[in-house]
Amino acid sequence: MTTPDHELDARNLNCPLPILRAKKALNGMEAGTVLKIMATDPGSVKDFAAFANQTGNELLDSSEVGSEFHFLLRKA
Amino acid sequence: MEFEHYQLIALYGFLVAMAFGAIANRTHFCTMGAISDWINMGSRTRFRVWLLAMGIAIIGTQSLYLTGQVDLSGTIYHGTAFSWFGYMFGGFLFGIGMTIGSGCGQRTLVRVGSGNLKSLVLLLVLAVTAYMTLRGLLALVRLEITGPTTIDLAERGFASQGFDELIGTATGISKTVIGIALTALVGGGIVLYALRDRKVRTEFDNLLAGVGVGLVIVAAWFITGVLGYDDFEPTPVEGVSFINPVGNTLAYLMTYTGSTISFGIVLVLGTIAGSFLYSLLTGTLRTEVFHDRSDLVNHLYGGVLMGFGGVLSLGCTIGQGITGMSTLAPGSVLALLSIIAGGAMTMKMQYYLYDGMGWWHAVKCTASDLLPSK
Repeated sequence: MTTPDHELDARNLNCPLPILRAKKALNGMEAGTVLKIMATDPGSVKDFAAFANQTGNELLDSSEVGSEFHFLLRKA
Repeated sequence: MEFEHYQLIALYGFLVAMAFGAIANRTHFCTMGAISDWINMGSRTRFRVWLLAMGIAIIGTQSLYLTGQVDLSGTIYHGTAFSWFGYMFGGFLFGIGMTIGSGCGQRTLVRVGSGNLKSLVLLLVLAVTAYMTLRGLLALVRLEITGPTTIDLAERGFASQGFDELIGTATGISKTVIGIALTALVGGGIVLYALRDRKVRTEFDNLLAGVGVGLVIVAAWFITGVLGYDDFEPTPVEGVSFINPVGNTLAYLMTYTGSTISFGIVLVLGTIAGSFLYSLLTGTLRTEVFHDRSDLVNHLYGGVLMGFGGVLSLGCTIGQGITGMSTLAPGSVLALLSIIAGGAMTMKMQYYLYDGMGWWHAVKCTASDLLPSK
């Protein structure tokens, strides 16, 4: 399992805020580093898949942990 | 048991709305999400899916209209009171509301069906605000706003605000010819633009959402305009719309014994039911509640802005954005563009304000992002 370099707490945020904050967080990161995002919005699963697909940042993992959704994104 | 004519129409409406709710639930059909994908990710796929629905709705609806099967002249979209400021200001407020309320009226109904209690609270606030704007205290405010800014097209010799009527009367060209040309150009053009994206053409959910929602809009016109036609007891010709009907649904439920069901009410109830059934069958029913203070406050603001704005602009992302557009009316174009502008601006503001940037600075950055720079 890849260890994340940065973490983003997007819990309790509604669409479109998790994506917006992830975009912001990635802006301040170096290429190749990994961001872990924790969210509670069920829509975020589909959103982060589309986000990775579109922006080229690799979605290393997308998992449901209890009532939360966790994502690992590697900055392109 | 025998159904009265109006009950049968209501039943058809309910079934079509159930299909809408189920499709929207499965495919995440969401106008705000489509704008967010575009603004925040640079992906227009979801927006193109949304446009596919609009293009199909235009072609289908205009086919019914131009062949004389559905008379759109009595609908709110073709009304001769052209309240340009109402469409724009109402649409803009609606766009802000749907962004901070995490979804428009249609999305809220789908979420209620999937167990989201936050959306249920938003829906109740939206319903009360919409009804107040329609008939209550806020109606006074609405009339103050629209009264001085409404252009009476009838006074200028136009029978409706449909583009066919406006262009036909102004130029003397046959309205049917104009209608056919516009349908081919605008409807066909939008469908082609939508299908240029490979993901729209090839992914099942995208096609299901675009084609499915487009057909639902056409089916609603067919039900009220063709099946609902009756010499003695005609059904008002009505398309799929959600803000005004949400207000009416609340009023209907509270005054049930003295009320008759209408098409808009069954659309609201059917959409919730369809989404609920889909969630139940796929095991995705999930109770969601408010996390904190700002979560509640945002949803309340969202409900108020959408209820007031949606009535002012005579419709929401579906009511004006797809149904209104399917009638090819200028008011719908104004309302839709204003909804998109309000939503896009709010997303940009959220992005900049999160940095701790001051309001004024955030407004300037937003403007420079959204306005053409060269």
